[in-house]
Amino acid sequence: MSGHLPPSVLNALIDNELSPAELARVNEHLAQCPSCTAAALSTSMLKQAAAQAGRSHAPSAQFMDRLAHHSHRTPVAATTPRQHWLNWAIAAALALASVVYIATRHITRQHTIASLAHSALVSEAVDQHIAALASTVPPGVISTDQHTVKPWFQGKLPFSFNLPGTLPPATVLEGANLTYIGNQPAAELLYRIHKHRVSIFVTANNEAAAPFTADLAGFHVQSLTADHLQAVAVSDVNPTDLAALARDFQQAQQSSPPEH
Amino acid sequence: MQWKPTTRDAARDFETLALPLAPSLYNVAFWLTRQQTDAEDLVQETFFKALRGFSSFQPETNFKAWIFRILRNTYLTSRTGLAATRTVPLADHEDAPLDAAIDWDTPEGRMIGLSNQAQVRSAMETLPPHLVEILLLCDVEEMKYKEIALVLDIPIGTVMSRVARARTALRRALLGTNMNSKAGRREEPK
Repeated sequence: MSGHLPPSVLNALIDNELSPAELARVNEHLAQCPSCTAAALSTSMLKQAAAQAGRSHAPSAQFMDRLAHHSHRTPVAATTPRQHWLNWAIAAALALASVVYIATRHITRQHTIASLAHSALVSEAVDQHIAALASTVPPGVISTDQHTVKPWFQGKLPFSFNLPGTLPPATVLEGANLTYIGNQPAAELLYRIHKHRVSIFVTANNEAAAPFTADLAGFHVQSLTADHLQAVAVSDVNPTDLAALARDFQQAQQSSPPEH
Repeated sequence: MQWKPTTRDAARDFETLALPLAPSLYNVAFWLTRQQTDAEDLVQETFFKALRGFSSFQPETNFKAWIFRILRNTYLTSRTGLAATRTVPLADHEDAPLDAAIDWDTPEGRMIGLSNQAQVRSAMETLPPHLVEILLLCDVEEMKYKEIALVLDIPIGTVMSRVARARTALRRALLGTNMNSKAGRREEPK
């Protein structure tokens, strides 16, 4: 090996990424080159320093509790042989406690998953709305006409929905995009109320979910469910105006079959 | 795409694999977001997405790389991630000089700098997110280049060049702090 070892080889050396043949050649070079040996030592020290300094943020116990379910095992109390009745009572109590524990654990798990799903949906919807606000790319379909926007989704979504024919005052349909919410294909309907932009994300509703409202990062979030749909409206407009639009959208879904 | 409900067994398997990685995921999340609440939200959302997509995870593949990739993708579409990508370069500057152009400080100075964790941490905080994350994956998480390539969705060659660039940038930052501290010492009144 002629010349000095390049940084990529030094890094691969200390990251243990060299093949045995490459390692043999590098070791042979290092045995004859004090400069590269010093550089390898320095790089190794830098890696160690970065490893120590980089491991500097630990989650709080409360946060870990939210992620994990701690099972507390209660020790079984010792009993005397003569206290058979007490044995049976304890056995019955343990059985009852086990049933209660399993049921509670199941409910807690379901509640945690539901809570995670709820906060993830809000966070993702707000993120996507902000991304739409910041985007310089025009939406997939630009139109104020519901009869142009709705057919644009044909063949793009595994479900259909209605757009309200009449909208609240100062509310205008601006267009729509195809997106994904929670790994599901979704329609993103773009409205404007006065100068505030609104995104309504529409997905297929595969499970019963109660409507909710939430506030995140200054944006108001309102969900609604229809027969086969779930929609989440996001905007920084006042909640009353957003609720009026959401109500019209929900009422539009009640007209069956979907309008053309 | 249909919603696939997670079975109880799958949820238990997921917990077994994912919970031990929570501190590592949080550490990387904190470095990326620089905020406790944002880091918690990022890890929580990562867990949720990973749990929901756990049925698509191939057991014979690398779970750690898989969930770290979800964390990174979630970060990139988050508010802080979007803000970061608008203010720092996403791609490597391939024409930027590497080690050859660095004027190394004295070995003594380097030893002092590397032994001071706070100084190294401060230097790491000055690096852009895409360089910090590769140092965290390579040095802190001790992932192989192949695993890092999976997490970051880049070729192994890019991993190697980015590792080199990250360490060069860290050296530069440390050199700067060393020089500043020396200058400070020289300016101290006798």
